This record gives sequence, structure tokens and C-alpha cells, in this order.
Amino acid sequence: MADVDHDEEPHLLEEDQFLQEVHSFSFWFEAIEGYLEDRPRGYVETLGEPTDSKTMSDADRDQLITTLCNYCVGESTALEASSGLVRMAPNNHSRIFLATQVADEARHLEVFLRRLEMLGVTNPEAEVEARAASGLVEFRKRLLDLVDQGDWEAAVFAQNVLLESMEDTVFKFHESVADTITQQMLEGVVADERRHLGFGENDLGRRLAHDPDGRSRLAAIRADLDPLVLASFDSVYRELGLSREDQPQLGKEYLATVERLGLTT
Amino acid sequence: MADFLSQYSIQRWLEMCPQGYLEDTVNGHDPGLSEPEEILGNEEIREASIALTVQLIAGERAALAASSGLVNAAPDYASKTFLATQTLDEARHVEIFTQRLMDLGVKKEDVNSTVADYTNPNLVKFAEVLLEKVSNGDFIAGVVGQNIVLEGMAFTVFELLQTTSKELNPKFAQTLAGTIADERRHVGFGENRIGSLIAQHPERKAEIERMQGEMAYHMLATFSDIFTGGASTMTRERDRLAAQGQSIGDAGWHGTDLSTATPADMEAVLADTVLSEFKTRLGRIGLEYQTPKVPA
Repeated sequence: MADVDHDEEPHLLEEDQFLQEVHSFSFWFEAIEGYLEDRPRGYVETLGEPTDSKTMSDADRDQLITTLCNYCVGESTALEASSGLVRMAPNNHSRIFLATQVADEARHLEVFLRRLEMLGVTNPEAEVEARAASGLVEFRKRLLDLVDQGDWEAAVFAQNVLLESMEDTVFKFHESVADTITQQMLEGVVADERRHLGFGENDLGRRLAHDPDGRSRLAAIRADLDPLVLASFDSVYRELGLSREDQPQLGKEYLATVERLGLTT
Repeated sequence: MADFLSQYSIQRWLEMCPQGYLEDTVNGHDPGLSEPEEILGNEEIREASIALTVQLIAGERAALAASSGLVNAAPDYASKTFLATQTLDEARHVEIFTQRLMDLGVKKEDVNSTVADYTNPNLVKFAEVLLEKVSNGDFIAGVVGQNIVLEGMAFTVFELLQTTSKELNPKFAQTLAGTIADERRHVGFGENRIGSLIAQHPERKAEIERMQGEMAYHMLATFSDIFTGGASTMTRERDRLAAQGQSIGDAGWHGTDLSTATPADMEAVLADTVLSEFKTRLGRIGLEYQTPKVPA
């Protein structure tokens, strides 16, 4: 894709033009191109198999498989939810942004499934099902119910704020302790999650600014869903070998976002 | 099946599409190209171009809704992944045809009302038949309706438009070239993925064939409205070009010279080509083509 010749930087554009610009296909492609250029499968293949992958113990490998299986549950949930949201999007640029998110989530799923294969999992889909955390499975059901009910605000909150910010926090932490291949994969995924989170906060922020009833409703939904996702990612930390006191503040960024949106209970 | 589906990964899509035939393009065409003055300076032709572009947007919006809606219904991760790429393709098509509408002088704030005003009601009915299947989570019918019927129609319509545009409107012709490449991939997925599912569920055949017949009927009615309604404008434009010693250039298409064909001839060759493609593709996946009723 050629660089689009903008007269101004995106942040200097009028609000409406800004939204159209940052939610476009070309903006998306420019955003992802950087980290895909030399990583066709999510990591730098020319490095060969790094030592930390070769020397991984069986216990560490098994732990990583469980973690990645739960990442796959999160990503397939996000794939199904974001695709369901396309049809109910309130305008064209939101629809187009969500279409880019659909492709991002599918890409993440593909990358994690490939990592599972590299770790020796012969049937990744079955393995994901077998190792999925029950809380995350329940969250998936609740989120897809919100999508099926056509509840745009609740679904955007649950997916683009709650799930994405939790993933962002966990992936960033995991990136700092992961083996080289997993670390490179997570780096690309985290870059996408930031964009998705930005969309969710931006969309809801505009809607809720003058809607106290909407805020109360979402705060109640939040109180209902928080424990499911928090517990799921808490267990991921445990799988990564962290004691509770050593865990980074899991929901710090999430709580800050919730605060900005006025969804504290 | 696993090997065939591996050809539809996100990675493959990235290499083929944005890093392939869309490389160095803006909104699907070379940077710097614009709509020709012959369109922008002629109110009748400009309005006809707007009306045509609206049909493309309406079709692509339906394809976007259908492909995204089918992700959830897909039975395996690989199919979900392909449909994710298709969702993004369709979103890009909506974006570039909407951009064309604005390039033709429609103000941004008027885009939705223009689309609502000009969308052919038969095209709306065509989309409704498909989207009902998608809403019901019917993966097999949804993919046949979307990737064989809708995409098959779009593929052929875009080819015809590209043939008539390449000489006089390279911007539009280039925009269409990228969408044609996308549609070819979508049709390929539909044929490859659905054949085995139809074989596993022969009891679904009759209902899906009925859907194809219904969609084809609304498609023919759309073609009829557009070619009948636009006949005088098409004829006047051809006469104007001839008077200036111009033509749409080498425009042979499925045995018809589009530079001299009457609107009725063009409608006939378009309908015949689309229906013939339906017949071939449906046959390949084990479905019997249903001849649609001829719209009154």
C-alpha cells in the first residue's frame, strides 16, 4: 500500500476526519506492516530455533502449552465477538475498524496455534478445548450473548475494554519473561491490542459522556464480568510461575480506563 | 482439506493482497489518478456513475455483513480465519467504493442518504435472502449464498465494468482489478470448502437450491432495472463518444463487443454469463442450479 498523502498528521484532523482516517484499511495496514515485515509467522524465522526453545524443560513446555491454549480461547472469543459486532456498528468507519480487528484477532489465533504446533501439539484445536480455563469459557459465552442480543455498548465494553486490556497487561508481562519465539509473537499481538483498546475507549467515552443511565448499566455488567476474566488471567500468572505477591498489578490499566469511562461501582 | 485451508491463512492473505496486488496503491488505484473530467463535468453521466457506485456499495455492505456474520458459524478455526480475511476484504471494498462516491462529488455527510436513495430495491431483497441465512447461523447456506452467488455475481459485474472502464477511466478500472482478485479468492474458498459439507448434508440441498433460485431472481430484476433505467443515458454517452471520435476501446467480453452493444445486449450477456458461472460452480459443489423466474 502506498503511503497516503495527508495534509496533516492524524491527531491534527477534525474529529470526524480523524475517526475516518484512523479506522481505515490503509491506516490499519500501515500500523501492522512494521511488525509483519520480517515476521511472516509472528517471529523472525531466520534466527532458527533459539537456545531457550531447544532447552525448554518438559514441565515448562507443558505450562506454556496451557497458557497458549488460553490465549487461543481469548483470541477466538475476540474473533467471534468482533465479527458479530461488524453488522451492528453504528457507522461506516466503526464497521471498517471492526473488520480490521477481525483480521487482527484471526492473525493472533493463527500465530498462537502455530506456536502450539511448534511445541509438539498435534491437534491444537482439541488441545485448546481440553485446557481452556472455565472462567474464560464462561466469559466467552456471556460476551457472545451480548453480541447476539445486539447490545453494542455492553459488547464493546466487554471485548474492547475488558478483554483487550486484560490481554494487553498479561501479554506484556509474559513478553518480558517468555522464550524468544513466544516473546516476538506477543510483541506483535500487544501492538494490535492497544489499537483495539483505543477504539473501545474512544467509542464508549463519546457515548457515555452524556448518558448516566448507560454508565450505570455498564458498571453493573462490568461487576458481573470482571471476576471471570480476572480469575482466568490470574491463573495464567500462576502458570507462568508467579506467586500472588509477585504478580504485577493485573488490572492497573484496565482500572484506569474504567475510571476514565466512569464505570467504577 | 487441511492443506487446502492452509492456503487461506492470514499470512497468505497478507502476502497476496496488501503486500501483493495492493502494494503502492491508494484506495485500490495508483496514487494521483482521478475520475475523468468527462464524468465530473457532465451532470447526467456523473449521476449515472453515482447510481452505479451506490449499487456496488450496497452489494459490498451486504457482503461485509454476511462474511463477518459467518465467522461465528464456521465449524473450524481455518474457515474462521479465511472469513476474517474476507471480512476485511469486503470492508476495504466498502471503503474504496464509498471513496469513489465522494470523488464523484457526493459530500461525506450525504453518503448514507445517497446510498439509501439510489440502492435498487431488488438488490436489497437479494441481500435480505442471504442475510436471513446468516442471521440463523446457517453456515452452508450462508457460504453458498455469499461466496458462490453474491461473489459470483460481483466478480462478473466487476469484470464487465472493468472492461468498459479501462480505456476512459483507468482509476475506476484499477480499483475494480483489486476487487476482482479478491472476489476470485472468495469464490475459490466457497467452492472448495462447501463441497464436502454438502456431501455430508445432502438433506440441505433442496433448501439451498431454493435460496439460489430466489437470489438469482432478485439479481436479474436488479439488472433489468439498471439497464432499462439507464438505457437512454448509455446510448447518449456512446453517441457522444462516437461524435468525438472516441470509444471505450477494445471491449470484447464473452463474445459481445461492449463498445457497440445496446443496453439490452449488455444486460443479456451479463445475465447469461453470471447464470452460466452459477451453474458451473454449483455443479462442482454438488448442487443443482435452479433457473430463476424471469422478472416481469
